Amino acid sequence: MTTLANALACVFTLGCSAFLWKPASGFYRNALLLSASLLLFCLFAFFGVDDFSSANMNGELYPFRMMALCLCFSTTALPKYRRRYLVLAQILWCWIELFGGITLYYRGVDVAWTRIAAIAGMAVCSTLLSRISKEMEFCLMVFWIAIWIFF
Amino acid sequence: MKGTSLQKILFYLGLVLFIPGILAFGSALYNGPSAWSTDARSYWGVPIALFVFWIGLAHAGTLLSAIFLALGIRLDHRTAMLAELSTLCCLAIAGIFPLMHLGVIENFYMVIPFADARGNFANVMSPLVWDFCCIAVYGILSLLFFWTQLKAKVNSSFEKLRKPVAWILFPLVLWVHTVVSLDFASTLVPEWRGAFFPVYFIAGAVYSGLALVNGLLCLEGYRVRLLERLMLAVSWLLLVVWLWNFLLKGDFCTSAFILAGVIPQLLLVESVRDSRAGRGLISLSVLFGLWAERFYMVMPSFGVSQNCSLNYTDLGLIAFSAGTFFLLFLGLRRVLASYVSDAGTFFGEVDGSDIAKNEIALGENVGHDSRDDQNKDSYVAPWSTEEFRLLRMPLLCGILGVVLFSTWSLNQNAFEHVYLTLVNILPVMYPIVALVAIVVLYLRYFWRNNLWKSTSKIERYLVALLLVMGGLFAGAFYAGGPSEPSPYEPTFLKETVSEPSLLWNARCSSCHGTDGNFNQKFVREFYPVPQKLTLDRLDSLGVDSLAHVILNGRGNMNAYLGRLTKTEAKALVEYMRMLARNNEQKNERDAVGEVD
Repeated sequence: MTTLANALACVFTLGCSAFLWKPASGFYRNALLLSASLLLFCLFAFFGVDDFSSANMNGELYPFRMMALCLCFSTTALPKYRRRYLVLAQILWCWIELFGGITLYYRGVDVAWTRIAAIAGMAVCSTLLSRISKEMEFCLMVFWIAIWIFF
Repeated sequence: MKGTSLQKILFYLGLVLFIPGILAFGSALYNGPSAWSTDARSYWGVPIALFVFWIGLAHAGTLLSAIFLALGIRLDHRTAMLAELSTLCCLAIAGIFPLMHLGVIENFYMVIPFADARGNFANVMSPLVWDFCCIAVYGILSLLFFWTQLKAKVNSSFEKLRKPVAWILFPLVLWVHTVVSLDFASTLVPEWRGAFFPVYFIAGAVYSGLALVNGLLCLEGYRVRLLERLMLAVSWLLLVVWLWNFLLKGDFCTSAFILAGVIPQLLLVESVRDSRAGRGLISLSVLFGLWAERFYMVMPSFGVSQNCSLNYTDLGLIAFSAGTFFLLFLGLRRVLASYVSDAGTFFGEVDGSDIAKNEIALGENVGHDSRDDQNKDSYVAPWSTEEFRLLRMPLLCGILGVVLFSTWSLNQNAFEHVYLTLVNILPVMYPIVALVAIVVLYLRYFWRNNLWKSTSKIERYLVALLLVMGGLFAGAFYAGGPSEPSPYEPTFLKETVSEPSLLWNARCSSCHGTDGNFNQKFVREFYPVPQKLTLDRLDSLGVDSLAHVILNGRGNMNAYLGRLTKTEAKALVEYMRMLARNNEQKNERDAVGEVD
């Protein structure tokens, strides 16, 4: 996938996250939105990744990485239990990267340790946050975008 | 139909399935892997399909009970108990099949990754070894979690232990099924290609677990709307994952799509979801669909290749697993009836609407607010809090345990001969953390609160017996010893001439590889790793010593005395030296090529 498409994916996840966990939306609506977002991510990855065989095996994981990033973004807008779910979303992202990486390692692809360490570090540091202000929300989002783009 | 009469019918159905099933089970144990059909590409058959199916179902109890408890979502006691009980039953059934699949059930202890203590390193590269660790720890902790729930009914001080245990179990549940998914995803079978398998398997396990619990609730004659909603939501996510699998590889399981994807959408129809039969049939449909999905995944040649079809043993094993579940679950349900249904439980419909009210009432930091209000101006040392003592301190001890284990393992001589990386050891780390944390948590809690007195004599004897058995078990596999020569002597090689290459290909190449560089399929999927046959190592050991190892065995290397003569063994050593020399020359040529 090209750098531009990768950056577009990040913007795309940010857009989808805006629809999740709205205060007035019910359980079914949230579940449907999450599934629809994942469907869009799958289609984006399918058309965005040139070849899933040897060079781009990471592409198999791409929609799920997008979903994890989307969940991270969406937690910043939660009215309650924000820190808890923010940490859990980052752990999910870390989980997807780690075990996806282990799977790919058996097929000859190096594990992205820097990315995993960066997400894990962010998750650990997030547990220390007592109040999540608007500025802190912005900082968190910048860090996640940086991990997505650069690592 | 009343719940109890339905339970009776299912109990008899269980008996009907169990009796012929036990014959198939006996035949499978006696005859080994030749008794059941094996897929030509994956070399796996019905026992592994059953293992994956039942281990998925085993996530129901801990998932619902522990994760809901950890996240502060209320679930009525009776549902939690039923779910946890179903977990234990499913786990017991799931555990049988990988052992059966080994073929040499008496050597099951060899899968325990006890580093080099037996003189032969267990292959930590293989996800099958990770499986053993994860499932064993998950089984122990689930049992402990269930026991704590039972004890809490008698002694309320045990209730305090449930939430920390739930937090420790939360990642473990997901870890176990992730590792099961790696059994598939890390192999070379094209149908199992997928870095997304961990997520896929977890979604499937959660879905099947929810279907099982909803089915069991129908059997009990009541419902939990929250679980029905969750089941429907997970079905949507799984449909998308199936679509992704199709886009990537063109694989599509129609029966799973219809049974577990389309039919559950009927829950959106009010008249169907309000009918007990409707809910029960939908749960059953999901279970059948997911069984079909796992079956086709484990045996991709089924229906494609003519050689891959189900025989009586396969059908008997399926009947055995279903029958055992009905008998075990309904039997235990009867024994524990007083615990499962008492006055303290919520009956009828629990729709989750009270959760939202509770959340609003409790505020954002539930469990911390009251303490913060009281101590607004006073400093509270972090290690003096209840949370630290009950959760963080045991977890820190667990992390320390992993560090010690890793340091000890890395100093084992086996690492000189086996190429291992962090990736190979990482999947067994969290189960170790969880086990140590739980042991520390319970020991400390029992000691501080003097709870030994509240345990019955039988429980104390059981604990003592378990400790003694654990010690004996650890001692037995630490002592190790060569494995016994196989009693099944193949006849086709009796007339083999002592041509070393033929002997090597027949006897040794399945593990060591035809060129002496290991059989890659073996290294990836089985255990333990054979020794590296470098020229230096062969020279240092000498011909006589190596011939002795071939004839008498060592560690997990089988003894070939009676199947090979001493002359043939020596010829094999010479052949090994030739292969090692060729490999060394090839490596040198490759190195020169890279420099150029």
